[in-house]
Amino acid sequence: MNAREQEYRELFMAEALEYYDGMGRHLSVLERSPTDVPALNELFRLMHNLKSNARAMGHAAIGEVAHSLETIFGLIREQQRAFAGALVPVVFTGLDELGTMIRAVGASQPLPDAAVLLENLARVARGEEPVQPAAAVPTAPDTPSEEDTRKLELSDLVYIQVRKLDKLLNLVGELVIDRDRLLTLAEEIGHPALQATARHLFRISDDLQYSVMDVRLVGVGVLLNKFPRVVRDVAAAEGKEAELTLSGQDVQIDRNVLQMITDGLLHLVRNGVSHGLETPDQREAAGKPRVGQLRLSALTERDDVLIEVADDGPGIDTEAVRRKAVERGLTTAALAAGLDEQAVWAFLFEPGFSTAAQVTDISGRGVGLDVVKRALDSLGGQLRISSVRGQGTSFTLVLPTSIAVKGALLVELDGRPYAVPLLHTDTVLALRPEEFSVAAGLLLAHVQGQAVPVVPLRDLLHAEGSEPLPTADKTQLHGPQQVLVVNYNNRRLGLLVDQFIRQQSIVIKPLSKPLDTIDLFGGVTLLGSGQVCLVLDVPALTRLFVARRA
Amino acid sequence: MVDSVLRPAGGKVAPGGPEATVQLIVFQLAGEDYGVRIEQVREVTVTPEVARMPKTPAFIKGIINLRGDIIAVIDLEERFGLVPAGRPLPAHSYTVAVEAAEYTIGLAVRDVPRPMRISAAAIEAAPEFLQDSGQRERYLEGIAKLPDNSVIIVLDMRKLLMASEILRLPN
Repeated sequence: MNAREQEYRELFMAEALEYYDGMGRHLSVLERSPTDVPALNELFRLMHNLKSNARAMGHAAIGEVAHSLETIFGLIREQQRAFAGALVPVVFTGLDELGTMIRAVGASQPLPDAAVLLENLARVARGEEPVQPAAAVPTAPDTPSEEDTRKLELSDLVYIQVRKLDKLLNLVGELVIDRDRLLTLAEEIGHPALQATARHLFRISDDLQYSVMDVRLVGVGVLLNKFPRVVRDVAAAEGKEAELTLSGQDVQIDRNVLQMITDGLLHLVRNGVSHGLETPDQREAAGKPRVGQLRLSALTERDDVLIEVADDGPGIDTEAVRRKAVERGLTTAALAAGLDEQAVWAFLFEPGFSTAAQVTDISGRGVGLDVVKRALDSLGGQLRISSVRGQGTSFTLVLPTSIAVKGALLVELDGRPYAVPLLHTDTVLALRPEEFSVAAGLLLAHVQGQAVPVVPLRDLLHAEGSEPLPTADKTQLHGPQQVLVVNYNNRRLGLLVDQFIRQQSIVIKPLSKPLDTIDLFGGVTLLGSGQVCLVLDVPALTRLFVARRA
Repeated sequence: MVDSVLRPAGGKVAPGGPEATVQLIVFQLAGEDYGVRIEQVREVTVTPEVARMPKTPAFIKGIINLRGDIIAVIDLEERFGLVPAGRPLPAHSYTVAVEAAEYTIGLAVRDVPRPMRISAAAIEAAPEFLQDSGQRERYLEGIAKLPDNSVIIVLDMRKLLMASEILRLPN
């Protein structure tokens, strides 16, 4: 049995025992008031769940007994049978037997034979008298042998609120940062015993960190497995034929990360069917099979998890998107003409673009995709798009495995540190003033053959009201300039800072009210020294720059 | 980590006597005594390092690390218009961390705040004309007259913190 099967079995056991306990409680209620509707409903529901779980796990015998009992509870609920007479002991025996069977599964033992029980259950369901052996059981409920088999069960699993795990993870994150600081200090002081202790602490806290992160991981499958139904429904509604292929359900990811991208992924998949696939006739005309292929896959890449939604549809009509972006006022015609296709596709995820309903008819994309971008921004994730006309489109969400500890670059401005998440940093440059050029009031740096606009971070942070940023002036630059190139939504932007401090892991704390409305800051982090450091939000900085550029 | 000057949580519970009393944390703003009910105060501390926060009005002095919680520190003298805006905090100041349902905020004051117990009856409702005349007056609970004829302006932190416009933040 592999680790995943083991995990599934443990989950089944935990749920089955919980259902079993619950049913025992409700059955006692029913015994006192045989027509109690809430108790009957609960019994019916729990038995149904147990039946489904047991069958899904391949425990047919449990499924059979649960099915028979469910039928009986259904009959009682519909008042075709009464919870009275010979039926009562048979039902109690049935529940006891279920408990025995569940325990047998847990102990990896063969399940007891339930033929007599099933026969009795069938008989009372028909309103007949049960056969003798079962009737004998309730007459001797207190015999020692019965007492021995009846055990009180406590589940091997604990349910825990995600909130508590969040707190734990935050604390561990801070511990790790202090540990790094301690290790540095130990090296500086050079005391051998202190160094040895610091290294030991390093190992322990590393294990602790990974253990806590591990507790929060779930298989991506818990989300992906919901999509076959979504695809079927959308395809049926749109008159499409679609086949969904899932892969990578075992890839592990933080539960909260998965939670945050649920809506976005739903939009991408729905879009993939309704706009990413042609109708069967169109497909045939284009020489493709009638059934469109949709692929939803997850894989791990270094510390990231990639979730890809791919179709074999018509691809993105880049020129239609370019036109629409200009019409929507997201860019000017002159700027739009010079954008490469990646930069054009990025408009699909802009809020202003997505509301353009008719765009979906032209380009085949568009409604609601900004939720994807918003979710990725708050997670510090990235979006990769690739599309070939006539062959299909693929959207890849690049997600952090865990949300607590992030890599960041610390920069200094006016004597204060600021942290920039590494997910959004592109490169750092030291440029002489003459290496910049100025065009249309913008300072430009030339990075790998691309002109990247550069703006003093100070100007962005202190921009007031809605006035445009000051026009770039090269003569204001003296000496080497430190440029941090950030990347958001395939747009690069250079930020002038005073100096680069270092790269380090940080734990981001959200800004508390009332300061949480300032979107330029993604939060704060405490440096090892206890110093408070603001975390810059690159998406917000980029938006501010776009809105205010001179 | 910050050093606590005093922690109201450890203070004595007001005795249930015939005369109800109110415990205040009293501090000075521009030479006048102001008080906040102790149950609205989380702690009083020497102001730790303040990180200036861009995009905020001048009276928000920045954010501090208060035992792992990050809270904003404001200068009420500036907020109430008692002094010109944009004044830096002195090297040594105290922070009264006051609590509302939604968040905690720090009030920066220059001298050590002190606890004081007064009779509840000593707090008179603020005169009507004061209520709507300025920033400060909108957050008044009342004015406490002391036996020595001095007065303490009692602020209602819930009003102060509830008003989202207290910060007049952008966006």
